[in-house]
Amino acid sequence: MAEHAQILPGNLDLLILKAVSLGPLYGYGILLRIEQISRGALLIEQGALYPALFRLVRQGLLKAHWDTSENNRRTKFYELTAAGRKRLREEEDGWNRLVAAIASALKAQPEGT
Amino acid sequence: MRIFSSLRSVVSALFHRSRMDEEMEEELRAHIQDRADDLERSGLPRAEAERRARLEFGGYQKFKEEIRETRGAHFLETLIQDLRFGLRMLRKSPGFTAIAVLTLALGIGANTAIFTIANGLMLRTLPVRDPGQLVELLHHYPGEPEPGFNGFSWDAYRIIRDSNHVFSDLIVGGVNFFTVSADNLQPQTVFGGGIGGNFFEALGVQAAAGRLIGPEDVHTGDPASVAVVSWSFWKSRFDLDPGIIGKKIVVSDAPITIIGVAQRGFYGLSHEAQQDIWLPISLGPSPGWGFGLLARLKPGVSLQQARAEMAVLFQTVVNAPDAGPFVKEMKLRIEPAGNGVMTPLSQMLSTPLRVLMATVGLLLLLACANLAGLLLARGASRRHEMAVRVCLGAGRTRLLRQMLAESLLLSLLGCIVGIFLAYFATHALIRVFASGRVISGLPVHFEVLTNPDAHVLLFSLAIALVTGLLCGAAPAVSASKTQPSSALQQASRIGESKSRRLFGKSLVASQVALSLVLVSSAAVFVEYLSQLRNRDLGFERNNLLLVTLDFAHSGYDDAQLPRLSQELVMRLDAIPDVRSATFSDMSPMQGPGASSFAFAEGHPEKQTQASINYVAPDYFKTYGTPFLAGRDFSTRDEAGSAVAIINEAAAHDSFGNENPIGKHITLSHVTLTKGDKTFEVIGVVADAKYNDLQQAAPPTIYADLLQQSFIGSQLAIRTRIDSRGIASAVRQTEGDLLKTVPIVRIMTMNQQMDSSIVPQRLIAMISTAFGGLGALLAVIGLYGLLAYTVASRTHEIGVRMALGAAGIDVLRMVLRDALWMVCAGLAIGAPLAFWGKRVAAGLIPDLPVGSFLPFVVAAAMMIAVGLIAAYLPARRAMRVDPMVALRYQ
Repeated sequence: MAEHAQILPGNLDLLILKAVSLGPLYGYGILLRIEQISRGALLIEQGALYPALFRLVRQGLLKAHWDTSENNRRTKFYELTAAGRKRLREEEDGWNRLVAAIASALKAQPEGT
Repeated sequence: MRIFSSLRSVVSALFHRSRMDEEMEEELRAHIQDRADDLERSGLPRAEAERRARLEFGGYQKFKEEIRETRGAHFLETLIQDLRFGLRMLRKSPGFTAIAVLTLALGIGANTAIFTIANGLMLRTLPVRDPGQLVELLHHYPGEPEPGFNGFSWDAYRIIRDSNHVFSDLIVGGVNFFTVSADNLQPQTVFGGGIGGNFFEALGVQAAAGRLIGPEDVHTGDPASVAVVSWSFWKSRFDLDPGIIGKKIVVSDAPITIIGVAQRGFYGLSHEAQQDIWLPISLGPSPGWGFGLLARLKPGVSLQQARAEMAVLFQTVVNAPDAGPFVKEMKLRIEPAGNGVMTPLSQMLSTPLRVLMATVGLLLLLACANLAGLLLARGASRRHEMAVRVCLGAGRTRLLRQMLAESLLLSLLGCIVGIFLAYFATHALIRVFASGRVISGLPVHFEVLTNPDAHVLLFSLAIALVTGLLCGAAPAVSASKTQPSSALQQASRIGESKSRRLFGKSLVASQVALSLVLVSSAAVFVEYLSQLRNRDLGFERNNLLLVTLDFAHSGYDDAQLPRLSQELVMRLDAIPDVRSATFSDMSPMQGPGASSFAFAEGHPEKQTQASINYVAPDYFKTYGTPFLAGRDFSTRDEAGSAVAIINEAAAHDSFGNENPIGKHITLSHVTLTKGDKTFEVIGVVADAKYNDLQQAAPPTIYADLLQQSFIGSQLAIRTRIDSRGIASAVRQTEGDLLKTVPIVRIMTMNQQMDSSIVPQRLIAMISTAFGGLGALLAVIGLYGLLAYTVASRTHEIGVRMALGAAGIDVLRMVLRDALWMVCAGLAIGAPLAFWGKRVAAGLIPDLPVGSFLPFVVAAAMMIAVGLIAAYLPARRAMRVDPMVALRYQ
């Protein structure tokens, strides 16, 4: 199992948006998908997920409806709204820029060697 | 859109709260079940899997709480919840609630009461156009009350009108009172004004009926023949009779025709002296200083600019060749008048209000410290509750909010009770105001001062909110820092955190300091009042009855009256228990009298300002003022040359060490004779106060009432018994002899003196009440806080006693601690109290600030209070069984 990375506050939202962008999902499914797409590197605290989901719904980035999960349980499914899709693109770009910038900074060598 | 959607979510959240909670519950349950499924698949038994799933999820309630917080309705919802819970908690401890609410109610009520009066008197704007630009012109003469009087000569008016560059309008108009009567109308005293032609136009007032007074009504030299009345006068006296225009009335004995009614809601220049009638003034050369002046500043001209220019301009008036000696010393003042012109009432109250506003502020601070202490002590006893709440998932902010909600609730309750208290307090104060000599008998609208308006309610609410937040902050923060583990173990019993204990101690010290200031300043004011009342007056104050007669409509001619008044004195002398009776033009402390400049024979360079009174024989015997030399007036003087009796101060000022008897003294500009008058001095009497208890007795010249053919309206009767006892006999005797001369009022000398010192009495009375309240609050607060500090040391005391400390040692320790706190408070309070006295001395001349006694009394009282407050809990602590205290945890 890969070593777990810390999730910075704020990044959880990005991960949730990403997870949901692949198709409507319910809460537990979102956790599993994040684990899966990060190849097990990112573990989300279970309880932290729901406040984040509520927040995203309130911001109009996600919308929710009731449906039955594959485990045959009635639960809430979340999917991206148009605004959520836009936000995801922006956050992805921002994140990539940040990572590229930090990576290039870390690659810097002392001058003269 | 955003606002709408969040509003919708608030509303739906409020109404569908339970449904949303259920949904949330269902979703979280599904999550845990899913997780349990996974764990089961990995080999755990179902029951264990579910348990594990729940554990992993963690504090379920906490997340629910967090989720709720992200919801729109959270604030309102929890606020309502907090308030409801707060109410329940307050109901659960009625003793605490009652004391806290009462403490606040006293603080808020006192502030509201004083603010109500200040608001009514000087913060409301007049119902005129652009009140902010309106200023009032006052002249001030040295030694007269601040800021001065609104009255100017024709020359002053003309010079200001023609040469100023700062006023867009110069308006003639002041506040006077008149007696109005008509055919079927009882005579009634009303406020009114003699006005110039531009008065209504410049104030932006329209007519409700008829027309208003304009420039065409103001005729030089003619007495007024027309008048405009107020809408409320029209309603109350004429029942809105449309036939009022052209109606004939009598205003102060002159026939007047009403030509119009001013617009509804216009009541003139003052809120409490509301004007009902306006008469055109004769605008032309006249000898007196009878023109009231108002002005409107030109746009862009500041008050300072106006003051600067007018100060220069007024020099022209003062330095005019024909200006009298009085005029030469006059100064001009310009004061804003948009909130009402100066009236006797506002002048009387301005100093007391300033002193009292400072005092009520202190009282509120004290109430705050008190409540903070109460809340702190209560917070300590509720620590267990807080710990349980933290364990159950309450967030820090949630606890903070809960505690603040409780203290706000307390302060709102205190505010409501306080407003009620203020209502009664203002009515009680009004009764004292009304006894003031300058306003008694005038139709003053006191209700303007007592009716709380929106400003007052907002003010009370604001101080309640601030108080609530201030007092609640510290206990709330400390509650929100609760650590679940420590508190649940009751570790708190072991001792208090250092900062918290220090906070409690500093509260005790500040309460002591504040009440020291309140009590010692109250003592200063009381001492001042008693000094005022017991000063050497120069006359005997007890058993002296004063009767004011009104000869104006008697029908007797001037030749008959002196005989009749002598006859009256003789009949009064015959009443049992009457020692002597006399007449005079003025009685002491009656109000402003006459004064003039006196020149002594042989000393043309000496010019003394002297007060004047006209008195009948036996005046000095009746008042109990001793003769130092010479003799009294007698009926034989009537036909002879003019004689006068002077007091010691006048003798000294005019004649130095010479014997004044037989010498002559000349009075210039005597108001009533309008010219110089020379008297032979026949007697010297001891100094006696004239019209002001605070000032030293002025040089006074007494002329012979009968010789000068004056009618004295002031009757004084010296009695052997309490003088009130003969009032009815006096009425009877007077009524039998002088049927057409009504008695305006009867009062004792003591009452008349009290009516001359209403401001001082108000300050003494209210500051005593506040000092008492302050001491009471301090007792409650000290007791509560010390009881709390001692209780929180129960364990420590148990340990000490288990280790061999005797009960008396513990007692001593607790008392020493308390004494320390009280002394720290005294050390802080003492400079404050002295500084406060200095400030007060700046407002009130000859305040006895040098006296240490009030301070010592207050300090001793605080120490006693502190020791008593500490003794009771200390005794309880002393009796604690060490084993019980140790086992307590």
